[in-house]
Amino acid sequence: MQKKKDFTRPEYFLNRELSWLAFNERILGEARDKSIPLFERIKFLSITASNLDEFFMVRVASLKDMVEAGYDKEDIAGMKPKEQLKRVSEATHALVNLQYSTYNRSLLPLLDQNGLHVVESHEDLNKEQKKYVDRYFEENVYPVLTPMAVDSSRPFPLIRNKSLNIGALLRKKGETQESEFATVQVPSVLNRIVEVPGEEGSRTIILLEEVIERNMPKLFLNYEVLCAHPFRIMRNADLSIDEDEAEDLLKEIERQVKKRQWGEAIRLEVEAGINKELLDIITHELEIEDEDIFKIKGPLDLTVLMKVYGLEGFTHLKNEPFVPVAVEEFAEEDSVFDAISKQDILMHHPYQSFEPVVDFIRQAARDKDVLAIKQTLYRVSGNSPIIAALAQAAENGKQVTVLVELKARFDEENNIVWARKLEKAGCHVIYGLVGLKTHSKITLVVRRESDGIRRYVHLATGNYNDATAKLYTDLGLFTCKEPVGEDATAVFNMLSGYSEPLNWNCLSLAPLWMKERFLFLIERETKNALAGQNGRIIAKMNSLCDRDVIVALYQASQAGVKIDLIVRGICCLRPGIPGISDNITVRSIVGNFLEHSRIYYFENGGEEEYYLSSADWMPRNLERRVEILFPVSEPALQKKVGEILDCQLRDTLKAQYLKPDGTYDKIDKRGKVLFGSQNYFMEEARKHARKNKKDAYDARVFIPEKKPEYGEEE
Amino acid sequence: MKKKLFAAIDVGSFELAMKIFEISSQSGLKEIDHIRHRLDLGTESYKTGKLSYDRMEELCRVLKEYAGIMEAYKVTEYRTFGTSAIRELENTMIVLDRIKSRTGLDMSVLSNSEQRFLDYKSIAAKGEAFETIIQEKTAILDMGGGSIQVSLFDNGSLFATQNMNLGILRLHEQIKRISPRSGQIRGILDEVIHTRLNEFKKLYLKEKEYKNLIVVDDYISNIINRYQKGNEKKGFMSANAFMKKMENWENAGLKTMAKELDVPEENVLLYVIAGLLLKGILEITGAVQIWAPGVTLCDGIAYDYAEQNKLLKQSHDFEQDILSCARSTNRRYQGSRQRSEALESIALTIFDSTRKIHGMGARERLLLRIAALLYDCGKYISLSAVSECSYHIIMRTEIIGLSHLEREIVANVVKYNQTDFAYYEEIAKVGGIDREDYLKIAKLTAILRLACGLDRSHKKKFTSVKASLHENELWVQVEALESIEMEKGLFQENGMFFEEVYSIRPILKQKKTF
Repeated sequence: MQKKKDFTRPEYFLNRELSWLAFNERILGEARDKSIPLFERIKFLSITASNLDEFFMVRVASLKDMVEAGYDKEDIAGMKPKEQLKRVSEATHALVNLQYSTYNRSLLPLLDQNGLHVVESHEDLNKEQKKYVDRYFEENVYPVLTPMAVDSSRPFPLIRNKSLNIGALLRKKGETQESEFATVQVPSVLNRIVEVPGEEGSRTIILLEEVIERNMPKLFLNYEVLCAHPFRIMRNADLSIDEDEAEDLLKEIERQVKKRQWGEAIRLEVEAGINKELLDIITHELEIEDEDIFKIKGPLDLTVLMKVYGLEGFTHLKNEPFVPVAVEEFAEEDSVFDAISKQDILMHHPYQSFEPVVDFIRQAARDKDVLAIKQTLYRVSGNSPIIAALAQAAENGKQVTVLVELKARFDEENNIVWARKLEKAGCHVIYGLVGLKTHSKITLVVRRESDGIRRYVHLATGNYNDATAKLYTDLGLFTCKEPVGEDATAVFNMLSGYSEPLNWNCLSLAPLWMKERFLFLIERETKNALAGQNGRIIAKMNSLCDRDVIVALYQASQAGVKIDLIVRGICCLRPGIPGISDNITVRSIVGNFLEHSRIYYFENGGEEEYYLSSADWMPRNLERRVEILFPVSEPALQKKVGEILDCQLRDTLKAQYLKPDGTYDKIDKRGKVLFGSQNYFMEEARKHARKNKKDAYDARVFIPEKKPEYGEEE
Repeated sequence: MKKKLFAAIDVGSFELAMKIFEISSQSGLKEIDHIRHRLDLGTESYKTGKLSYDRMEELCRVLKEYAGIMEAYKVTEYRTFGTSAIRELENTMIVLDRIKSRTGLDMSVLSNSEQRFLDYKSIAAKGEAFETIIQEKTAILDMGGGSIQVSLFDNGSLFATQNMNLGILRLHEQIKRISPRSGQIRGILDEVIHTRLNEFKKLYLKEKEYKNLIVVDDYISNIINRYQKGNEKKGFMSANAFMKKMENWENAGLKTMAKELDVPEENVLLYVIAGLLLKGILEITGAVQIWAPGVTLCDGIAYDYAEQNKLLKQSHDFEQDILSCARSTNRRYQGSRQRSEALESIALTIFDSTRKIHGMGARERLLLRIAALLYDCGKYISLSAVSECSYHIIMRTEIIGLSHLEREIVANVVKYNQTDFAYYEEIAKVGGIDREDYLKIAKLTAILRLACGLDRSHKKKFTSVKASLHENELWVQVEALESIEMEKGLFQENGMFFEEVYSIRPILKQKKTF
C-alpha cells in the first residue's frame, strides 16, 4: 500500500509575511503599469506606503516580540521568527527601493511632463518661489512648530510614532565646541503639500519639510545649523499582540512584555544623504539596529501622494469616477420590505449602490410595524448615515441592539465616539465580546406584519461603511426567509451573551462551527472525486493561510478535485507542486477597486452550493473572530454569484498567477483579448442602468410623485 | 388579525430559558425566539435552601432583560414558572416577591407533577407525530437535573407515571462525592441506576412490551440530532444505533466523546449519565425506537396557555390521561373497577343535575371523578383507617396533570367522605388551601357522600339513577329490582351533609321495575 502522504511538510507552504510583501509588490506593479492613468499610479504607490506602515506596526512588531521573547516555533513554512525577520527585512528593503525608483524614475518625470512640477529640494526653488515659501513659513508654519534641542539638561525628546521630523546638528554661533542635536516635528495639522507660484500653464508644489528645512535657522537663532535632514520612526508601541498569533505565544509575550522597553523603535527612515554624525545620534538614542534603518532616496512617507492625487484638476489623468448604479429590485418598490418579501436580493458593490442598505435601516427606523433592529458594526465611516438611522430608530421607540467592535484595528477611538452617540439615543450597545473580534456583518429587522412576525436579514461580506462600499468589491444579500431569520435571531442572542441555539438552520458561525463546516465541504468534494464524480471548488477570498484548510485542499487536489482559488493578498498555499497541489491554481486580482468579497463554491456532485462569508481562510477568522458563512440558495442568485466567479477566473488584465516558487506573474498577453473583470462589472452595471432608464421612458406614462413621508411614526 | 404573541419563561435549575411564540389556530405554535442563559440556581438551592446575593442579582438581571425582550416583541401575555430550584427554596415567597418588584414579572412555582405534565404537554404540542406514536405502547423518559419521570402509555393514553430521584445532576453530584477512578464510574452508575429501575419495573412492567421511547432532556436530544442517519425522521433513532454509539464511546474514552460532541470535557460525564439512564430504560421497556422531539418546558407552558385560552384546537385528551392514571392507581390498590365506576357514574349524575346550585365547572367535575375512582384505596393498607390511608396514598401518588392543590382537594374529598368533616379552621392548617378551595372540598365531599350512600351495599342494585331539582329538593330516582331499604336509610344519613352544604334536601325515590 502506498504510504500516506504527509501534506504538512513546510516546503509545501509559503511564509505569510513574504506572501504579504509579494501582495504589496503587486500593488506596486499597478503603480508601475504604464497603461494606467498617471494619478492612479500615484495613488497605488501611496497605498503601498501606507500598507507597509501597517505591516511594520503589526507584523514586524509581532515578529520582533517573538524574537525578544525567545519564541522559537517554526511557522507553517518551517521558518523561525529570527529567519523570518531577516527575510522580511531583505524583502522590505528591496520593496522600498522599488517604490522610490518608481517614484523617481517614472512618476516624477511624468508628472513634470503633465504639468505638475514637484520641487524636490528647497535649494531648487527660484527666487520668487523662495520668497513665497519663506513668507508662507512665517505666517503658517512657524507658529505651530516646537523645536527641541538636546543638551545635558534636556533629554532626548519623545519622537512620536509615524511622525515626520527634521533632525539637525547645531553649533552655538561663534563657538567651536562640539555640535548639539535638535529636532522639530513636521506638523501634521498642516497640508504637507505646499503649492508655490510656478510657470504659466503648469503647477508647482514643494513638500512642507523642505520649507521648514530651508527655514531651520529661524528656529535656532543663536545657533548655526550645520545640517538638517528629515527622519521618521515606527514604534512597537501601544499595539497589543496581533490576533493572528498562536495562543502559546500570547502567553509567552505577556510574561515578557514587562521586560520589553515600551514603545521601542522598530524602523527608522532617513534621507539617503543624511549626515553621518546626525544619523549616529538618532540611531544611538533610539537603539535601532542597522537592518532597521531605511535610507530613502526621496521624500519620506509616500502616503503624501494620496494628497497629490487629491489635488484639484488633472481629471484627464485619473480614472473616470464610477458612480454605483441603483439596484433594480428596489427601484420599483417604495418599501424595501416589500421588495425583499418578493425575492432574495443580491447586491454587488461597488458596481451596485450601497444605498439600499442605508435605506433598509432608515425605513426600519420609521416603519411603525418594525419592532427591533439589530446590527453588528465593525468599521463605519466618519459621518455614517447608518449610525444616524439607528439612533433615529431608538428615538422612535424601536428596540435597537448594536454590537460595536472596539477592537477593530486602528479604529478604536473612532468607534468609541459613535458608540456613545448610539447609547445616548437609547440603543442597546454591546461593546464587543471578550477575547473575540466580531467581524461578521449582519443586520436583522424584526417586523410585525399582518400574518405574523417576519424577519428581514441583511448579510454581507463587507463592513457597513458607505464610504468603503464605493471602493471595495463586496456582496450583500437581503432575505426574509424564515430559516435565515431564525438563525439571525440566534446569532444576536449569542452576541448578547445568551447560550448557543439548539441547532442552526443554514448559517455557520466562527469560531465555533465554521472551520469544521469548511473542512467538511472540502472533504465532501474529495469523497466525490474519489467516487469517480466531478470534484470542483472555486474560492475567492482576501487571504489564505490556515494550515488545516490548506492540507484539506491538498488532499482534495490529490483526489482529483479541480480547485481554483482567487486570493487577493496573502496565500500560504503553494499551487502546482507535483503530487501535492497539481490541481490547484491561485490567482490574485489587484485592481482599481479593492477585491474584498469572499465567495465559496462547491460542486457537491451536481447539487451546487454557493456560500458568502465575512471570513477568510485564516486562523484568525476561523478561530478568533465571530464570523458568518451564509448560503446563497436562490438559483437565480446562485447564477449571479457563479458569473462573478467565472469573470474573475477569465480575467486576463489584472489577474496574476501564483507560481510554485511563491512569485506572481501576469499572463502572457500576446495574441489574447484582454479581459478585466472589474471593467466588465462596471460596464454591465452601467448597461443595466441605461436599460432601466430607457424602459422607464418607453413606458410613456408620467408617474406622479408620492406625497413626501413626514411623521410616519404613530 | 395579528397573531397572538406569547412568552414562556422557565426558571430552571441550571438555565433560564425564554421562548417567544406566535400562536394561531391555523399554524399552531410557532417559535419565534429562544433565549437561554446558563445560571446554576440548583446547587445553592438544594444545598442551602436559599439563593446567595450574587445569584439573586444575576437572576433578576437576566429576567429583567427577558422582560425587555418581551417588550421589544410587544408581547402582552406571558407565564413565568420556576421549577425545582425555586420550589426547594425555604423562602420561595420572598424570592418571588423580589423578582416581581425588580423585574415586574409575575412568577409562579410548578410542583413536580405540574412541571412533568407541562413537559408532557410540550410533546403533545407536536400534534400528530405524538398521537401516532402513542398508538403503540410507548414510554416517556423526562430527564431533569434532580429527578427523572417515567410515564407509560397504552392505547393512546397515559396510564402510569413515576418520579425517581435519578436526576442527571444529582447522580453527577453523588459520583463526584465518591470520586471514583474514571474506570469505575460506569460500573457504579450502572448499579445505582439498575437498582432503582428494577424496582420500577416490578411495579409497572411485566414484559418488554414497549415499542417506543420518547425522551425529553438536554443531552440525548443533542446526541440524536448529531448522529441520526439521513433517512430517519428528525429526532428519531433506533435503540440499537444509540446503544452502539454509547458502546463506541465507552471504548474511546471521555476525551474523544467530548471532542465528538463538541462539549467541554467537564460536561461530558453528564452525557454519560444520560446515556446510562436511557440504556437502563431501554432495557426494562424493550423499546426499539427512540424519539427526541427536542421540546422544552417552554413549549409546554405555551401549549397549556394556548389550550386554556382556546387559541388552539386540543390535539390530545389530557383528561383521559388523568383518569386512566387514577384507574390504574385504583387497580394497584386492589380497588374494584366495577364499584368505583358505579360510584363515579352516580356522583356525576348528581353533580350534573345540581350544576345550578354548586356552580362548579369541568375541572371540579374531573376532580370528583378521580375522588370517586380512588374513594377507598386506603383499605389496601388498613380497613380501620381507610380514610386516613386513602388521603396519604393520594397525596403520595403522582397523578400527572393535577396541580398540587388539586391533589390536595381530591385527597381531602376522599378523606372526609368517610370521616367527620373538619371545618375551615381545621383544613386550612394544611398548606395552600384557601376559602375557595375549602368550599370546593365541602361541595365535592357532599356529592361524593351522597353517591356513596346509594352504593353502600356494593351490590350495584340500581339499573339506572336519575337526579333532578325540585325547588328545595333533589330527587334522586333509581330503578332497582331489589329492596333498597338500606340505601334509603344511609341516603338520609349521608344526605345531611349535603343539606348542610347546599340547603337542599336530597330525596331518594324508587321507581319499581317489574
